[in-house]
Amino acid sequence: MSVRVTGIGIISAIGLTVAENLRSLKESRSGIGPVQYLEEEEGLLVGEVKMSDQTLKNELGIGSKAISRTSLLGLKAAKEAWGENQHSKKIRTGIISSTSVGGMDRTEDFYKTYLAGTNPDYKLLKTHDSGNTTERIAAELGISGYINTLSTACSSGANAIMLGARLLLSGKLDRVLVGGSDALTKFTINGFRSLMIYDDQWCRPFDETRSGLNLGEGAAFLLLENDSSIDISGNKTIGYVNGWANAADAYHQTASSPDGKGATLAITNALEKSGFALSDISYINAHGTGTKNNDLSESVALRNVFGENIPSFSSTKSFTGHTLAAAGAIEAVFSILAIQHDLIFPNLNYKIPIAETGLEPVASLQTEKPVKAVLSNSFGFGGNNSSLVFSNHD
Amino acid sequence: MYYISAASTISHQPTFQNVGFSTHIEPLQETSVLLTPDYKGFIDAGLLRRMSKILRMSVACAKDCIGQAGIDQPDAIIVGTGLGCLLDTEKFLNNVLTIEGLLPPTSFIQSTHNTMAGQISLSIGNHGYNMTHTQNSISFENALLDAMLLLEEGERNVLIGAADEAIDFLNVISEKLHLQLQHSLTSGASFFILSKQKNDHALACVKDTQAIGLVNDVTGQIKDFLAGNEMKVQDLDLVLLPGTSHHSDGLPASLASLNLEENKCVDYLRFSGIYPTASAFAMHLAADKMKADKSLKNVLICNTLIQSNLGLTLLQSVEA
Amino acid sequence: MDNLKEDLKKQIIEQLNLEDITPTDIADDALLFDDGGLGLDSIDALELIVLLEKYHGIQVVNPEEGKVAFRSIDTMAEYIRKRKS
Repeated sequence: MSVRVTGIGIISAIGLTVAENLRSLKESRSGIGPVQYLEEEEGLLVGEVKMSDQTLKNELGIGSKAISRTSLLGLKAAKEAWGENQHSKKIRTGIISSTSVGGMDRTEDFYKTYLAGTNPDYKLLKTHDSGNTTERIAAELGISGYINTLSTACSSGANAIMLGARLLLSGKLDRVLVGGSDALTKFTINGFRSLMIYDDQWCRPFDETRSGLNLGEGAAFLLLENDSSIDISGNKTIGYVNGWANAADAYHQTASSPDGKGATLAITNALEKSGFALSDISYINAHGTGTKNNDLSESVALRNVFGENIPSFSSTKSFTGHTLAAAGAIEAVFSILAIQHDLIFPNLNYKIPIAETGLEPVASLQTEKPVKAVLSNSFGFGGNNSSLVFSNHD
Repeated sequence: MYYISAASTISHQPTFQNVGFSTHIEPLQETSVLLTPDYKGFIDAGLLRRMSKILRMSVACAKDCIGQAGIDQPDAIIVGTGLGCLLDTEKFLNNVLTIEGLLPPTSFIQSTHNTMAGQISLSIGNHGYNMTHTQNSISFENALLDAMLLLEEGERNVLIGAADEAIDFLNVISEKLHLQLQHSLTSGASFFILSKQKNDHALACVKDTQAIGLVNDVTGQIKDFLAGNEMKVQDLDLVLLPGTSHHSDGLPASLASLNLEENKCVDYLRFSGIYPTASAFAMHLAADKMKADKSLKNVLICNTLIQSNLGLTLLQSVEA
Repeated sequence: MDNLKEDLKKQIIEQLNLEDITPTDIADDALLFDDGGLGLDSIDALELIVLLEKYHGIQVVNPEEGKVAFRSIDTMAEYIRKRKS
């Protein structure tokens, strides 16, 4: 029971297109650096998309109407994934996006002028709600009908892919764009700082000295199609979504359980759904945020599932920063790229294994081994754990 | 067919743990307030002290549903919310823009849309599928469709609900944007247990639901939806609609060509007030009516709260 | 009566929104993070760090440091006095 992927699109700190992202991954070039676009404390390390709102608007042909950066990033990636596809009455097409902050960037603009009492523009608030973020993307692409947004914090993007796959298999849709988008905001940066898990240095996932995450921004979308849609579109299949699962950790509001219960369940159930054996997994794109808690809990979960034979794994958040709701979608695109090009991406900044588990991520680009199947993990606040399995066959 | 084995609503009406409320509730007065139970009976004190209105409503309704259905655990928890945790979002945003230095983290943690579903799983120790849909006025219908898919995939009981909370600032916004709302902005939460198997608790059945974004032909979509369920407008015993500003003669203008009989139509916003997921209130209202009045066999909830969105939910009596 | 300790109790009740608890319910030596005491958790620990900065002008950079200081009202008062001296 798998679903075909026929298109991918991405915008992140390491590139504005799929090709640019792939190049950065191959060159081990991180996109994390001192903040440039957002008005924040000088020197703050973030994974910003290197393009202003105005340039994005111009490039996407958006007029003067208010639109959030979250929508702009989402639209850029969704357009790339959509490519030259055409609408057809015979193909029921939907879109599922995901976001954690929605139009919070514009709401912050509004609120600043509101607090200052300088004639705030209330229309900006129309872009606040998360659903609007997706509607704007849908409207630009001419999609109507099934338009939905998921918001489960840092696992949102993975959940959008999962729901899209389920809708295709149930026969409710023939074709669906699935992904996620989140812009950097003062809200989230200060939020993670208030939790004291924002690293002032470059994040170090799975390293003993890790002390937090760097936030990033971006968006990614995948186009999923069933056979009848492909009969009409003629699109080439570039990969498959073979397995998926979501499970609740039910341990704590923000922290992951020390025994990795929710993560273990998500990984186990996604693998079971895919029908793959443990040994079939060539690479794991880990959640790996760089916080003390996540990376330890995730390591324990990997040990629970794979025992002593944990496949090559890495966190690519050392490239992009943690892009919250977009992370699951961005890392799904990286998973597809890994399969397409037989690549295993490095976990930048790794030096010393975590004392409790001793797991060692892949520290440099691997090009020798065929990559047939990839497991991608995304775990979020509220104990929301999701795992996806991608491969080159159904 | 999916059975509604439990239903629980906290709203501005005496809906909570009050079977048969639909037969005697009155339209809301402008001064109405949220009617809340003693939350301590439902929520652990350690969790309760941090919880905002939307979280308290959601967890209490969820626990009430699980009790009604007589199950240990639902197989999944699915929540729809249009605007999420507004109180905590407003509080944290205000802090970010006004306080220098370290900020209290609680309102940030509880600002994410999935806090309701997360807190429910935490409160009952549930490790199943946990999802949050947020598509403005059709968040509930999208969540309901997800629940139906899960039941088709083999799950037995799904806890599905919706919640939204009002903050004072929403009134300022609606005034500044000249929304001219005909009902007050309110808060509410409605949760249900949707089951694959018929059981003694069942209030009504969900036959089908559909959420349509950027809709252009509302009447056409309604006819198609009914036709897909082998039904015509004339077969409906009751239609629940949001009476909104696009009214004409008591019915939304966009529905005029459906020739709905006016005495079969109920404006649910008169009872719930306005919030993005008020159609979940409508589903409980309809199910409660159907439980009390066996002549109601086919009921349509036609959610046209926002003109660009259409949510359709078809309920049938358990016996039908 | 130790004014600092009494102030701390009031501040904790307010910062953590401890409904139904009064300062007299909190013993100076009660373990704040123990279920037999106030049953606080890691989110509360972060709130206490905010409290120290807000009311006492003390910055705690390492959350681990807070864990030791926040054992009880006694240890919190001691920590504040030490940092201020």
